[in-house]
Amino acid sequence: MRRWLVRRTLQAALTLLIALVLLFLLIHILPGDPLAREGEHALTPEQTEALRARYGLDRPLFGQLAAFLGGLAKGDLGVSIQYGRPVTELLLERLPATALLGGTVLLLNFVLGVWLGVRQAVRKDSREDRWITTLSLAGYATPSFWLGIVLAGFVGVRWRLLPPAGMRDPLGGGTVATAVDILRHLILPALTLSIVSIAGTMRYQRAALLEVLRLPYIVTARAKGLPESMVIWRHAWRNALFPVLTLFGLWLPILVSGSVFVESVFAWPGLGSLAIGAVGNRDYPLLVGAAVLVAAVVVLGTWLSDVAYAVLDPRVRTS
Amino acid sequence: MSTLREALGAVWRTPRGRAGMGFLAFLALLALLGPLALPEPFRQFDLEELANAAPSVDHPFGTDQLSRDVLSRVVSGARISLAVAALAVGLSVTLGAAVGLVAGYWGGVLDAVLMRLVDGALAVPRLFLLLLVLSVPDRVPLAALILLIGTTGWFATSRLVRAEVLRLREETFVRAAEALGASRRRVIFRHLLVNAAGPLLVAATLGVGDVILLEAGLSFLGLGVQPPTPSWGGMILDGRPVLEAAPWVSVFPGAAIILTVLATNLVGDALRDAFDPRGA
Amino acid sequence: MTRWTLEAWLGAGLAATVMVAGAPRAWAQRASDPARIVILTGGEAAGPVPTLNEGPLGATSNTDVTDQLFLHLAELGPTLVTTGDRGFEPGLARSWTRRDSVTLVFDLDPRATWQDGAPVTAQDVVFTFARARNPALAPSLSRLLRRITSVTAEGERRVVFRYTRPYGEQLYDAVFHTAPLPAHLLAHIPAESLARSAFVQAPVGSGPYRWVRRVAGQFVELEANPRFFLGAPAIRHVFYRLATDPEARMNLLLGGEADAMDNVPPPRTNVDRVNAAGNLRLVPFASSTVGYLLFNQRDPRDTSRPHPILGDRDVRRAIVLALDRHKMVRATFGPTADVPFGPTSPMLWIRRGAPAPARADVAEARRLLAARGWADHDGDGTLDRNGSPLTLRILLTITSATRMQIAQQVQEQLRQIGIRIELEGVEFALYNERRNQGRFDLDFASASQDPSPTGLAQSWSCSGGRNVAQFCDPVVDSLIDAAGIATGNTERAWQAVLQRIEADAPAVFMYAPTFFAVVDRRFGNVRIRPESLWLGLREWTVAGSR
Repeated sequence: MRRWLVRRTLQAALTLLIALVLLFLLIHILPGDPLAREGEHALTPEQTEALRARYGLDRPLFGQLAAFLGGLAKGDLGVSIQYGRPVTELLLERLPATALLGGTVLLLNFVLGVWLGVRQAVRKDSREDRWITTLSLAGYATPSFWLGIVLAGFVGVRWRLLPPAGMRDPLGGGTVATAVDILRHLILPALTLSIVSIAGTMRYQRAALLEVLRLPYIVTARAKGLPESMVIWRHAWRNALFPVLTLFGLWLPILVSGSVFVESVFAWPGLGSLAIGAVGNRDYPLLVGAAVLVAAVVVLGTWLSDVAYAVLDPRVRTS
Repeated sequence: MSTLREALGAVWRTPRGRAGMGFLAFLALLALLGPLALPEPFRQFDLEELANAAPSVDHPFGTDQLSRDVLSRVVSGARISLAVAALAVGLSVTLGAAVGLVAGYWGGVLDAVLMRLVDGALAVPRLFLLLLVLSVPDRVPLAALILLIGTTGWFATSRLVRAEVLRLREETFVRAAEALGASRRRVIFRHLLVNAAGPLLVAATLGVGDVILLEAGLSFLGLGVQPPTPSWGGMILDGRPVLEAAPWVSVFPGAAIILTVLATNLVGDALRDAFDPRGA
Repeated sequence: MTRWTLEAWLGAGLAATVMVAGAPRAWAQRASDPARIVILTGGEAAGPVPTLNEGPLGATSNTDVTDQLFLHLAELGPTLVTTGDRGFEPGLARSWTRRDSVTLVFDLDPRATWQDGAPVTAQDVVFTFARARNPALAPSLSRLLRRITSVTAEGERRVVFRYTRPYGEQLYDAVFHTAPLPAHLLAHIPAESLARSAFVQAPVGSGPYRWVRRVAGQFVELEANPRFFLGAPAIRHVFYRLATDPEARMNLLLGGEADAMDNVPPPRTNVDRVNAAGNLRLVPFASSTVGYLLFNQRDPRDTSRPHPILGDRDVRRAIVLALDRHKMVRATFGPTADVPFGPTSPMLWIRRGAPAPARADVAEARRLLAARGWADHDGDGTLDRNGSPLTLRILLTITSATRMQIAQQVQEQLRQIGIRIELEGVEFALYNERRNQGRFDLDFASASQDPSPTGLAQSWSCSGGRNVAQFCDPVVDSLIDAAGIATGNTERAWQAVLQRIEADAPAVFMYAPTFFAVVDRRFGNVRIRPESLWLGLREWTVAGSR
């Protein structure tokens, strides 16, 4: 097991390194000047030169790559052009909000998706099964930003049931009230992201359970006269759960991408809205920093899910 | 190719597959013919009176703030979205198949290097890559956009093709062909590629839906298709300020996206079941 | 995990969600206190400290908060006139006298204190201007203050400003560009590291509001300074709440989660939405914006040569006359914008007394074009001369719906006299790049002006930093210089500048809009000050508070 773990970890590290080098190369083959600023706040030539020196944009390519990787190792991602503050600081500031949103959506997808998936597997090909499948597929086909706009506009503004944007009301007082306030603001964005992604978990669980239900030991259990619910939940589901657990590593990129739109529409102060702002202002250090962080999270997530699978299914470790 | 026809037939037999294929065919027809049959998308005059008009006989989907007929724009947007998706996916599939074949067939160091690169590239979500590239100052013409979307989408396909090639290489018919004098590698490519076509087609169909969503999202952010070229994402962006007063400006393009992507997903699903009935 | 556990979790989750959703906003203890205001902004106040407002930190989201925390020596009066010694309202300086044509003396108000209790002294002003006039520390600011030769203290409360020469805006230069900093708190910090110091994270100022905290990416909180010597503000808590997306700001406002916003984003239907909300009020104010179609004097393909079509003044004049600007502006803005004479936004005081802008005269336009050799020789509907058609491209940014709308109308109107216009709508960053490089025929620009008319030199003098069209008329330059140093009848001097600019027709001056801020009805005595929108906050009243 340990040998497998070491090998898998080294693989993950290598993947991350390659991702970082690719990102770096991508930025530098792009045409255009990252320091051109808008008219009102136009920089003087002296200021531009100073910024160029500070971000090391006047050094040759390999020098910049070395500086980039070296800085990363120390946790230094440069300084944001927009804010004038270290990128790492800005990213860490906004990370909790995205983690809260992403975590809630993951939890929602897991619990609701698993429950629905099992339910649909049991009622395979019934009218309910087909409707729910189609509905969830329709949800999967829905653009997250569109759903967000519609929910914010109607539930938030027209009917005033829930806050249409933001993470909390600045007027909150007290810890409990603030926590409830944040939860209230969380509902619409989490719902939006969940609707567009739950189909994946649900159908995966459904397929996994159907596969397990075909296995001989289930047939035996049924033949022994065990009640159906016990057959499903006690015997079959445990085995069908593993693949779904490992899905979490694969859903991370989707959640990150989806959250970019949702955070923008709902003004949720997370990494996604930070990235959008960086794009608009061509704040390359910040944008690259965000991409680096996201790549690291994705690699970590995949690694975690592989490890989880290996822990639960010993066959994997020998491959 | 007979397997392809069989697969399509199998898709047509399922009710969901039928619905999906039917809608896509209808959409393609509309996209090809539509702009000819529908009213002018933009009228220079009557700017005031016709703005944000509710759906009516003249304008079944209503009009937007610049008095443009929403139905015409949705249909024009269909052409753009489908064209972008088809071309980008075509590019992705070609690149992915090429890389996957090379990696799977030749194996060894080349395989290891390619797959490590693919792993690295897969670590950065596609949207972030595109955000980075599209935030570059120069205006991005449509062709460049298609190229960018296509070149960021081949990674998973290459893995898929490589897995298929590895599997098929062990099959008897391939071994037999090799033993019979190998003819040229190209014949083997035909054997391998033809049999890998199934999963490839499934990936392509599902990929079309993904690209439509991606392009709509980018246009919504102002980074994709540039106005005044109509695009579904751009229309949703335009309709946002008038969502309460004139919801049709955003709702209809959104519905168009949902139906189109749903259709491609249904067809893709049915295709997947047809090629590999295990997972139904 | 059994089925029951899973379903129990689901049920509990659903119940919790419903309860949370139903929780009324009145949970917030301070929500019941009407003496607070939540202002929506599009940017974060990352460094609200005077002399640090350079580059990206010069954005209004930052300067707004700076102006609440730090009081200036004096402020512009309601007429917004920037020349002369009168018409300004006292701030940290209670009064000022002129010793001679190049010396101004300010007497500080003895009641003025910093928020930590220390008195505001002349040393603070001297310290601040030493920083502000240092080009290494504050490049843009030092340029604005270049005509000040020295700032010295005479005793505890008297500051003497000396200038390079007599000119009309001496007082303006001393008071407007920066507010004083507390020397006793900052003198020991090395000058270059002020930006990274702890002071920036919790500034101590002299203004009506005190810093409370900043929640990253969400809001900045200020509270009233009870010891503010000009009277403690009635509004006790001020929140600047961030939402970068303008639609999200509208949603927050209409959803009841905010009290004020500095403008109503386009399109005009948003104005109707605000009017429909019973608790909100539109407050008009003179904007600092003027929109115009700028003619490129140089050939976009080779900027060393004059523009083949637009280099000719009569052609430019013809285009101006061919356009019915009033109709276009009315169609797009309704009654909320007028057509300016010369590049004057509503905030610029020199527009008073300016003549009315020229009305459309299509016949004259046609005559001018014909006289210059433009006629439709090949019958395709477009004028041509020597085989080349009269085709021009308008460069504009797609982020402005108003400009897109007007540009389309311009296209149609010019088509009718035979000028073919192509619209090139590009994204903002590219738009700036193109216009700075001079790669355009017409640039649909929207300029944001300073209260001082000397800012016109930036765009309309031969060596102006923002003169991307390379418009150069030495007479305009000398008139601007003369107006800048005039101490007497400055209004007449600036009128001459505007007349000459209009005569040269370097642009079609299209619109000078009135902007509308949105404010909750419970606030009274609301005055939105064009030079710094929320500066008047300290004088607002609140209905229903003690």
